[in-house]
Amino acid sequence: MDFTELEAIEGLRWPWHSWPLSKPEVSALVVPLSIMCTPLMPFSELPILAHEPVNCFQCGAVWNPYSRIDYTTKIWVCPFCYRRNPFPRSYDHINENNIPAELFPTYSTVEYHLGPAPSSGLGLGMDSGLGRTASGPLRSNSGSFSNVSAAYSGTGEWSGVSGGVGVGPAFVFVVDGCSSEEDLGALKGELLHIIARLPENALVGLVVFDAMVRVYDLGFTDCLRAVVFHGGREVSSEKAKELLGLHHMKQSIGKTSSVQKQGFLVPVSEYEFNIITAIEDIHSSPLVKTGHRPLRCTGVAISVAVGLLEGCLINTGSRVMVFTTGPATVGPGMIVDSDFGTAIRTHRDLNNGYASYPRKSCEYYKQISQRLSESSIILDLFACSLDQVGAAELKVPVESSNGFMMLGESFESEEFRKSLRHMFDRDSDGNLEMAFDVTIEIVTTKDVKICGALGPCISLQRKNDTVSEKVIGKGGTYIWKLGTITSKTCIAFFFEVADEQKSQPSSAFFIQFITQYRYSNMGIRKRVTTAARRWVVKHSPEIASGFDQEAAASVMARLAINKTEEMFAHDVIRWLDKMLIRFASKFGDYVPEDPSTFRLSTNFSLFPQFMYYLRRSQFMDVFNSTPDETAYFRLMLNREGVVNSLIMVQPTLFQYSFDGPPIPVVLDVCSISPDVILLFDSFFHVVIHHGSKIAQWRKLGYDKDPSHESFRELLEAPELDAEQLVAGRIPVPKFIKCDQHSSQARFLLAKLNPSVTQNSTYSEGSEFIFTDDVSLQVFIEHLQALAVQG
Amino acid sequence: MSTPRGPRPGAFPPNYNPDTLAGNLQNLRINQSNWQQSNNAGVSGAPRTSNALPFGQQPPPFAAGQSRPPPPGVFQRVPAPPVAPGQSTLRPDVMPARPTGPTPVSQPPPFASRPPPPGVLPSSIGGSAAPPYSAIAPRPGLSGSPTPPQMSSNGPAGIGPPAFAPRMMQSGSRPPPPMGNAPRLSVGPVQSPTMLSSQASSQPLQTRPGFGSPPAVSSSVGQPGPPFSTFPQGPMFSGSSNMPPPPGSLSFPPAHQGTVQSWPQQPPQVGPSHPTPGAMQQQQRIFGMPPGPPPFPNQSMALGQTVLSQADPNHIPRYSSSSAVILYETRTDNRANPPPPTTSTYIVKDNGNCSPRYMRCTLNQVPCTVDLLSTSAMQLALLVQPLALPHPSEEPIHVVDFGESGPVRCSRCKGYINPFVKFIDQGRRFICNLCGFTDETPREYHCNMGSDGRRTDADERPELCRGTVEFIASKEYMLRDPMPAVFFFLVDVSMHAIHSGATAAACSAISQVIPDLPEGPRTMVGIATFDSSIHFYNLKRAMQQPLMLIVPDVQDVYTPLESDVVVQLSECRQHLEILLDCIPRMFENNRTTDSAFGAAAKAAFLAMKNTGGKLLVFQSILPSTGMGSLSAREAEGRSNMSDGEKEPHKLLQPVDKTLKTMAIEFAEYQVCVDLFITTQTYVDIASLSVVPRTTGGQVYYYYPFSALSDLAKLSNDLRWNVTRPQGFEAVMRVRCSQGIQVQEYSGNFCKRIPTDVDLPAIDCDKTIMVSLKHDDKLQEESECAFQCALLYTTVYGQRRIRVSTLSLPCTNMLTSLFIAADLDTQFSCILKHAADEMPSAPLAQVRDKATNVCINILHSYSKFCATRSSSGLLMMPEALKFLPLYTLALLKSNGLRSDGRIDDRSFWLNYVSPLPTPFVIPLVYPRMIAIHDLEAKELEDSIIPAIIPLSVKYISDEGIYLLENGVDCLIYIGTSVEQNVLTQIFGISSVEEISNQFILEQYDNQLSKKLNAILNEIRRERCSYLRLKFCKNGDSSGTMFLSNMVEDHMPSGAAYTDFVAYIHNQIQKKMT
Repeated sequence: MDFTELEAIEGLRWPWHSWPLSKPEVSALVVPLSIMCTPLMPFSELPILAHEPVNCFQCGAVWNPYSRIDYTTKIWVCPFCYRRNPFPRSYDHINENNIPAELFPTYSTVEYHLGPAPSSGLGLGMDSGLGRTASGPLRSNSGSFSNVSAAYSGTGEWSGVSGGVGVGPAFVFVVDGCSSEEDLGALKGELLHIIARLPENALVGLVVFDAMVRVYDLGFTDCLRAVVFHGGREVSSEKAKELLGLHHMKQSIGKTSSVQKQGFLVPVSEYEFNIITAIEDIHSSPLVKTGHRPLRCTGVAISVAVGLLEGCLINTGSRVMVFTTGPATVGPGMIVDSDFGTAIRTHRDLNNGYASYPRKSCEYYKQISQRLSESSIILDLFACSLDQVGAAELKVPVESSNGFMMLGESFESEEFRKSLRHMFDRDSDGNLEMAFDVTIEIVTTKDVKICGALGPCISLQRKNDTVSEKVIGKGGTYIWKLGTITSKTCIAFFFEVADEQKSQPSSAFFIQFITQYRYSNMGIRKRVTTAARRWVVKHSPEIASGFDQEAAASVMARLAINKTEEMFAHDVIRWLDKMLIRFASKFGDYVPEDPSTFRLSTNFSLFPQFMYYLRRSQFMDVFNSTPDETAYFRLMLNREGVVNSLIMVQPTLFQYSFDGPPIPVVLDVCSISPDVILLFDSFFHVVIHHGSKIAQWRKLGYDKDPSHESFRELLEAPELDAEQLVAGRIPVPKFIKCDQHSSQARFLLAKLNPSVTQNSTYSEGSEFIFTDDVSLQVFIEHLQALAVQG
Repeated sequence: MSTPRGPRPGAFPPNYNPDTLAGNLQNLRINQSNWQQSNNAGVSGAPRTSNALPFGQQPPPFAAGQSRPPPPGVFQRVPAPPVAPGQSTLRPDVMPARPTGPTPVSQPPPFASRPPPPGVLPSSIGGSAAPPYSAIAPRPGLSGSPTPPQMSSNGPAGIGPPAFAPRMMQSGSRPPPPMGNAPRLSVGPVQSPTMLSSQASSQPLQTRPGFGSPPAVSSSVGQPGPPFSTFPQGPMFSGSSNMPPPPGSLSFPPAHQGTVQSWPQQPPQVGPSHPTPGAMQQQQRIFGMPPGPPPFPNQSMALGQTVLSQADPNHIPRYSSSSAVILYETRTDNRANPPPPTTSTYIVKDNGNCSPRYMRCTLNQVPCTVDLLSTSAMQLALLVQPLALPHPSEEPIHVVDFGESGPVRCSRCKGYINPFVKFIDQGRRFICNLCGFTDETPREYHCNMGSDGRRTDADERPELCRGTVEFIASKEYMLRDPMPAVFFFLVDVSMHAIHSGATAAACSAISQVIPDLPEGPRTMVGIATFDSSIHFYNLKRAMQQPLMLIVPDVQDVYTPLESDVVVQLSECRQHLEILLDCIPRMFENNRTTDSAFGAAAKAAFLAMKNTGGKLLVFQSILPSTGMGSLSAREAEGRSNMSDGEKEPHKLLQPVDKTLKTMAIEFAEYQVCVDLFITTQTYVDIASLSVVPRTTGGQVYYYYPFSALSDLAKLSNDLRWNVTRPQGFEAVMRVRCSQGIQVQEYSGNFCKRIPTDVDLPAIDCDKTIMVSLKHDDKLQEESECAFQCALLYTTVYGQRRIRVSTLSLPCTNMLTSLFIAADLDTQFSCILKHAADEMPSAPLAQVRDKATNVCINILHSYSKFCATRSSSGLLMMPEALKFLPLYTLALLKSNGLRSDGRIDDRSFWLNYVSPLPTPFVIPLVYPRMIAIHDLEAKELEDSIIPAIIPLSVKYISDEGIYLLENGVDCLIYIGTSVEQNVLTQIFGISSVEEISNQFILEQYDNQLSKKLNAILNEIRRERCSYLRLKFCKNGDSSGTMFLSNMVEDHMPSGAAYTDFVAYIHNQIQKKMT
């Protein structure tokens, strides 16, 4: 079975589909045992169940198709811990011919939709993590278990069930008042657009900052009113609540049923006019000393916004959306002095440890991340600036809450508009496609130990006996938390085998992912994916055949960028090389000490190439990128699925010519040719590259000549394809059209394998790249040489 | 006049008519047109001077100056430095048009209506030549102002003849009475009618014994008729007081006669209307003689003296005042003239010494040695009021521009050039009159000497012939560009303030005052409100709804974007008005009871830190939160403190140093805080007041605040506060001649270095007391000079130095000292010292000390100077004859009473601290007049009728009385007032209808109109819209009224007679 087909069923990519039983064997695999999990991957056929899942009393695993069921004694045996669980009462009537959907063998993934919990239970996700309400009463309205269509699918009823709780998700817009009036104008337009489309029960807050932070009191009708915080002073959570007058609410924690009387976070339905007025009122702060950057206290603004949400005890899910156009220059979180005399930190400054502000700033934002996680708040960063804004520092809270980050040039740009609007897309029922307060729990067979996760999540530090001592990424837990999750969010989970294996080779092991989240309609949803794989013996050929090199490459990429947090990039590259050599030695087919004999089988053959491009990518090679950009790239790589990760690592290149339909071509300089059009996609950039001849013809206007209809079609074809690429992707990639030899062509050239350089023998008409980098060919030669050295 | 911005409809009871009293507030407005009027008045007065030609003695320069059309503010200096430009625009602060109603001088009607004056004048003029004492300083003044009301005894009888008789005798016995006055008479014929008319106004005094004498004399001369026209009033008094005419009164005439003979040549420098007092004053009289105005002796003369017989307890000096205008020249024949009493109306002619308005010394002759001074038991101090309001008829202060080089100064002591600097060596060098150093004359300032030893250009240069000039400051006097006029309003909107209507009142007051703020781009305003957080308003938002910016952190405040919070008035005028309209409504549901005064002030300060300016705070409750918060102290609300209380005076001290520290910082950045306390509870003024006191501001206290009746006062106080002549970022220093040095300054200011006084703001109502001490002996024949230099920025952004120089003769004679004592100033010092001590010493001690000062002075006099040593008589220097009365009044004043509320006392202390000398006496010895009989009185040119001594004896049950002390105005309604009168004045039929919140309106009848006219006149005089309180006999309000009867016995002090007896006793004890 093809790996991608499997992914379409499970939402999982396994670098190794068959796991060896012994520890040494596992470490010899070089690429660790891991799973690239896309919890909310859209499935063509996903059973939706409108009742609570049935959990094993011991390990908490959800009853799944792999459990043994004894219908006569009404007992089911948990496949993970082998505990025998009695049927819940409502399942009494099931038998071999009438089994509920979650037990259908073909449904490895099911989703439980529960209505918005009664208000008293809303604290669920706050810190208790998984509301593992042990086999709560099943809803009786699911008449027939086998009938999936009977399962709950609407939302209207739920809002009825929820009673008085009409409170929806909360959005706090944090707007940079130092932006130019044009930028602000565009931004305000977009915000108003969003406001108009928010669900009625959504709560909105508005924070504007420059040197000060202004929190608008949107519930005050007599005039515009805002509470002002000093931008230079750190505002703790308690302080923010106190200053906003929200501190006293703590005492009334028992009765959170009604919305507290405060005007900072108000329902759109009631206060839309005020919100609109306040947004329209935002104006550019004029005070900028010449020779200085505007005073911005982004850090405090975020802290205050978070404090506001904390104070309002919002447990329905909330986003803090930061729109900024420049670096923070005052207060905690500042990354540079306002004086233009000091430059914003570069990679070199960071490496040398010269930059003290960023270090403090990172510390500060780490605390913010903690607060975000505790209150299940998502932090989004929309940075539209030609300069850096401090995204590198802000990356931690954004990533840990799985917030959205985009770096653009202006709020007037299309990228910004599309990205923002996309966030507020609605599903077929009119609900925002947005999830909040997400937890992912893993239940495994005893012999599988959980090492950790790499991705936009935070460890809840909950341990049980399946949690390994060894930590990779965010570990030490079997349950992770995400602020939000999208259908694309992908997390790499790492495992190892237990020290003492009791399982028999070729017996199965199970891993269950329980993803619980609150949907935008405030309903609780749980998606349960149960996967089974087999243990294999040493040197089993199944190991090699079960190798998914794409998944492996993206896992390695995540490991590599994870290492950059603590190590210098060149050390990481060295580590990558070492791993690759080990890998090649292990899985290559060669005569020792004879490089020429080196061969790799097909399902390993692309892996070295991925590693080559990874080494050269902007993820490893920070030259030419600002720290902000690097942070952004790494953040994206760390959350995208296997396919997109690979596009980032090794972009795709299509060639359009008169010779026939578009064909993929090698990512090599030799693919450039004067008479072809290339469509290049590196995820962040989509480039259409016209060969010099094509460009010349175009300039001569042949495409407008009816007699050259085919030329016009040739020109249009890549554009149509590019449009499709751009359309589906969030964040919207930068779209570049360029001609051969033009300056914009650098986006393409930088990614190509420099097989022809200034040092190569010149051949007429061929493109070359001016670089000292080694080409893929040279790299592979070295690899072979090293791999065969025993 | 009507108030254009009346109060918002609905806020007032139906009977409230904003066009009456409230409307009259406009009288307090200073505006250009008003100024023009008064200026015109001055111009119209000019003919006087030309008519004054008969006085050949007038120094030419003066005459010349006078004959110039309207007095130019700028002195045209021909050769060197350019003239200050734009005099007319600067005028408002040069000569700050005191808000005037019709001043007596400028009132034409009396002139026309009086036939006699012309006839009188010639005779008086003729007489003027006669007396040898032409050099005598004019001590004109109050037609019997501080006049011992010995006549009180015969007052009851006071119906014409009896009362009159002695007077006639006096006048008859005197040489040529009216003429005696004339010698110095600098009043021209034009003025004379007014003088006479004013004298006529004092006629009613006759009904009150003791006041009548001066007018009587004059009337005997030229105006026999008029006095009697007032008689209808007489019966009222006679009816009410049953006292038989004391026999003592009869004994006076002889005594008097004798004295008159012995002192025949004491011609007072008074206009014709005040002949008698002058004639009397030098006499050594038995008390009870027709009193003169405060003595005024020529230095060479023997001292005036008042002898008080214990046997005649009723014959004790009684205070009175006069409305007559005195013309006062500061120097004559190169000798300083002692100034007229502060309470009198006078016009100053500055010819060397500065006007007494700007600077007054407690002693008009400076003792040469410290021993002499300490023997006298008096103190040497200056009361400086650098921006005092001049009389409209006075010549404006000359503005002199020395250009880039700045004014000429002594290179050693940095004293400014002044008329007393002596040029030597053909004018090439000059000797500084302050430090005695010889300086080179700057070349461009050089001028040849005339034969009289003066520079030939002395009379053309104001700085060489005027006691007060203003120099345009050059660059070296500026650390930065002159600051703009910034007004920041800070309004309490806590629940209590909203409910009591204080917020609405404040907003309305601010709204009304906005049009009165100085025009132009240099005027900036800001506004903030506060409860437990601080709310700023972004004013830079044309055509948008207001944006309120809340600063919640009251422990560590900050200010949102300064630029939008304080903006040019022209940019935000409309916006501000809308906002002020909104504020009370926006907070009407405010449930916050806390108030963060300290934090709010600090935040507002931060907003205006870059420029400095005035911060006007409206506070309604005890600040209970945020930085500088206060807690109700032990004795907080209790009206009385038990005697057992440990150090009750501690409650008059600030709780801690927080606010002080804050205030010092404010001052450093030139922020002046004025505090309007509109409260109904205890607010710990002792602590709060530290801020205004340190920053040169002041406290206004409205307790118990009533939105109804206090709105008018609030808005007028505010208007006066912002429109009165004032300066910003000021520094003041007083320099003295060698031998004397400044010991201490006291008043509302911030002192960072000992020699200078830092005043973030200073205005015409602020006085600074400067205590002096000897550090060396002075030469007997020399003069000792005091120079006060005030560097400040005008509201129009000009940096100026106002320099006032006062040069006084030195003396070695104790008697001269007593003659030259200035009672008003002396008493002001006693009062201010007492106020200063209050917070740090037990009350009893302060009271004793004040009493002892009085005793010691009188003892010293009795021991060393008294000419008569009868043990049975209390000898008092004429100049100080009211000292016991004032001292007694002081002991009974709010501040020194033990039964007052702490806040009332604190306020009193604060009020007193910068109080100008002219307001000191009325504060302790309020002015009481009868108003039920106004109709009957011929008031003519003087609007305010004669005053009544403060004793129940003079209060009739049928009467209505008005009593004012510059702060409050009490109207006392007797129990059996004629209903007709009640209806006319109050529009009611019975006394019962008068409640606490009653508002006085003007009705269409003579009585009511007159009463309103009087009120307005008083308000104008006091520069304050007194709080009107209605008191009825029999309830607490009546008791309050009666507590002002300082001459009567009351818990806080003995009756006047007893007190005098006590003092006499003490002196007797000391003597033996």
